[in-house]
Amino acid sequence: MKKRHEQKLIILSFGLMILFSAPIILLFNSERAVFGLPMLYVYIFGVWLLSIVASFIIFKKYDE
Amino acid sequence: MSSVSLFAVVILYLALLFLVAHRAEKKKSKIWVNNPYIYSLSLAVYCTAWTYYGSIGVAVNSGLDYLPIYIGPIIIIPAWIYINKKILRISRVNKVSSIADFISLRYGNSRSFGAIITLVCIFGIIPYIGLQIKAISETFHLVTNTPISKNIFTDNATFVVVLLALFSSYYGTRYVDASEKRLGIISAVALESFLKLVFLIVLGVFVTFFAFDGFSDIYAKASLLPDFKEKNTFNGLEGSFNWMILCLISASAIFLLPRQFHTTIVENRQEKHLKTAIWFFPLYLLIFNLFVFPIAWGGKIIFEGQTVNPEFYSILIPQHFGNQIITVLVFLGGLSSSISMVIISSITLSIMLSNNLIIPYGWLDKLKSDNEEKNTKSIMNIRKVSIFILIVTAFVFYKYFILKNSLYSVGLISFVIISQLGPSFFGAIFWRRGSYKGAIIGLIGGLVICYFGLIIPQYYFSYNQEFKGFVRELYNWFSFFDIPYLSSISEVFFWSILVNISLFIIISLSQKGDYRERNFAEIYVDIDKYIQNHENAFIWRGKAFVSDIRNILVKFLGEKKTEQAMRIFNLKYNIDTRTETADARFIKFSENLLSGRIGTASAKILIEGVTHEDKISLKEVLEILEESKENISLNKKLTEQSRELRQLSNELSFANENLIFKDKQKDDFLDSVAHELRTPITAIRSAGEILADDDDIPLEIKREFLNNIITESDRLNEIINDILYLDKLEHGEIALNINQNNIVETYQKALNPISHLIHQKNIHLSEVDLLTNHIFEYDEARLIQVFQNILGNALKFTDEQGTIQAKFQEKDEELIIKIFNTGKQIPEDDLNLIFDKFYQSRNQNLRKPSGSGLGLAICKKIMEAQNGSIAAKNMEIGVEFEMILNNRKLNKEPERIQYE
Repeated sequence: MKKRHEQKLIILSFGLMILFSAPIILLFNSERAVFGLPMLYVYIFGVWLLSIVASFIIFKKYDE
Repeated sequence: MSSVSLFAVVILYLALLFLVAHRAEKKKSKIWVNNPYIYSLSLAVYCTAWTYYGSIGVAVNSGLDYLPIYIGPIIIIPAWIYINKKILRISRVNKVSSIADFISLRYGNSRSFGAIITLVCIFGIIPYIGLQIKAISETFHLVTNTPISKNIFTDNATFVVVLLALFSSYYGTRYVDASEKRLGIISAVALESFLKLVFLIVLGVFVTFFAFDGFSDIYAKASLLPDFKEKNTFNGLEGSFNWMILCLISASAIFLLPRQFHTTIVENRQEKHLKTAIWFFPLYLLIFNLFVFPIAWGGKIIFEGQTVNPEFYSILIPQHFGNQIITVLVFLGGLSSSISMVIISSITLSIMLSNNLIIPYGWLDKLKSDNEEKNTKSIMNIRKVSIFILIVTAFVFYKYFILKNSLYSVGLISFVIISQLGPSFFGAIFWRRGSYKGAIIGLIGGLVICYFGLIIPQYYFSYNQEFKGFVRELYNWFSFFDIPYLSSISEVFFWSILVNISLFIIISLSQKGDYRERNFAEIYVDIDKYIQNHENAFIWRGKAFVSDIRNILVKFLGEKKTEQAMRIFNLKYNIDTRTETADARFIKFSENLLSGRIGTASAKILIEGVTHEDKISLKEVLEILEESKENISLNKKLTEQSRELRQLSNELSFANENLIFKDKQKDDFLDSVAHELRTPITAIRSAGEILADDDDIPLEIKREFLNNIITESDRLNEIINDILYLDKLEHGEIALNINQNNIVETYQKALNPISHLIHQKNIHLSEVDLLTNHIFEYDEARLIQVFQNILGNALKFTDEQGTIQAKFQEKDEELIIKIFNTGKQIPEDDLNLIFDKFYQSRNQNLRKPSGSGLGLAICKKIMEAQNGSIAAKNMEIGVEFEMILNNRKLNKEPERIQYE
């Protein structure tokens, strides 16, 4: 795998750190229901899932 | 369910694991060895009983706080591609077998550091193992509806623990080399990870869709509970601050927990497996956590107003609905998470205990005097006993200390203690200047704070109501440092890590490090540069003899393996087997060989015992390293350049050969031309001489001579024309005039001028036309030339009453024309040569009376210019010329003939 694509994953790590910290995570700090679940849970699990998809795609596409 | 039947289920389950471990160990087929999913699943040893039961308790009691344990790892896992790759490489080249080896090697292969790390891990992890035993024991009693027995020896849970200890000590110590991969145990752990996930999903689906009516039903009912909002949102900025610190603790735990280090680094078979784990492991954790919310809040709704421990909702809910099967499945899931954690933790702790504590402090002398067989046995026994003692200690610890504490708090305390290894660990990989003194003082400082901040308060209250006397005063004095908006765990973590890092940095910067430390620092930080020949990066100067070192190796590896290893070493560095003195490379190589068996520190001590090292200053080490680094990059550059040069010289020599060949061709051609030209000139000259010398020649003869002169002149002319024509063809100076034409008509046009000659010789002429369409694209004038040439040859070689037959057919978009004539065959060897220039003249016996000898060469050029080909073939009674024109590839545009 090229260094450039490895860096994408490292950036993903930084992105996750920001998304899971104040102040961003506090924007979703509400127990209101979205899709029948508390908004904060939907946000956390949503970002979680997206990060899995992102790293999966990076490996499928750029791993030679 | 009765105790006996549940006990039987447990035994069956352990037997299944045993079977899987056994088969994987024995077969070693590719499915097991090269499977990245087994590796990824084995990482899920992270999810212990604490996760399995404890998360639900946390979700109920303190809300969102159960999530950071997974969010922390999730954040850092993508960066594994960089960080863990580095750790993997360092560990591979240095034969690291535990986190204690990894850190202590970096700080100068220090025996004392390794021992301290081992102690930290043991004190941090034993309560954690106790926690697993607590989970097994309590759920066992819960499922069987029996009270916990006061007497250890009559308590059923005790037997489960003993079984577990036996299983671990048997399977954990299969190899004496601790850096060896344990395929069996890892496969069993992977299976357990899979099963515990499946069982948890079964429970989650049961709760969500059978006990309730889906996620939204639970949400609708739970949102009416009074503390719902408080538990499912952050308590403002303060709450999110605690959350971030918890994330940080768990993010470091995923690297530092001995069992995680063991599964991710020591048991890694291929670097690329990491890539699968980076997306698969977070996915696993996601699924694992999906049902925590419904189980926790579902349980809360069901058991509202009752006093039950929410940590065991997973067992209590199916029990509440009378579903025996799901209850047992959940119990087995919990058992799986406990067992895998206990097994892996006890294995890695026992390795640390033997390699970093027992052997280097005391046992080494005994090992030195024994032989290989005995040593292997005693090392294995040390580990076996260690595993057993560790598990039993954990059990005792559970019985007397953590009976009253929740799973969650015990787990988190372990995390905070282990996280104290963080500064020296990450410093090892990224910071060259980090020194042994700084690392060890920082670690101790952090631990002291953890001890007073967490351990004393946690376990002191197991037996006392409040602090008394001196202790109380001490705590009052330190209450100044309380941070009111942080939980006690976050607070202690903050202070301990702050002190740890500060001491580490300040001391490292204020004092010069040891040369050995700095040597390893360079290897660690720049591992990518040294990965190929890391033995070169080890700096050592002094006197050492191969035979002395060999004697030591034999004591631990045995005669055969030592011999083998030395052969590999000599081959790798191209060293004469008779060399007597050992160099730095051989010393590092031998230390590596011993490391897996007795630990890096003991390996160093042993080798030091038989060698004499000269002191080197730090400055010298740095200079040598700088040099070797430059050498490596210079080497790389040189290799690159020499590769380019080699390629260039290859190209040149090829071009040269080509030129020589062309030159020879040209010489041959000139020879042929001269020869060909001389023949008619000689004839003309001799005829002219006779005519000039003798006036009395009869008129008839005179006329004959003059006719000869005219014929030979014509031939001369023809030869010169052909040469010029061929030259033009070769240089692409003749434009092709490609049009749609009727091929049979073209053939007739070629045939017409010579048809009377054919008739004169009584040759039978026939055409076979297999074409459906006669229109093709080609240059008609040139093709007529080809036909005439071949027909002319045919006419020459066909005897009277012979046959000339032309055949037209189309196959795969190709037009094939075959012209056959009876008569003399062409020698097999010459079938290809006849298309060469002046072929006839080189084969005097076939010499034709007339023609330039260039006809077929011209034919070949013409056919090739139209993307076609021509070939000759001997038939039974004659010769056949086959011309192929590729119909489809022809361009409509008139095309210049290409130079071949």
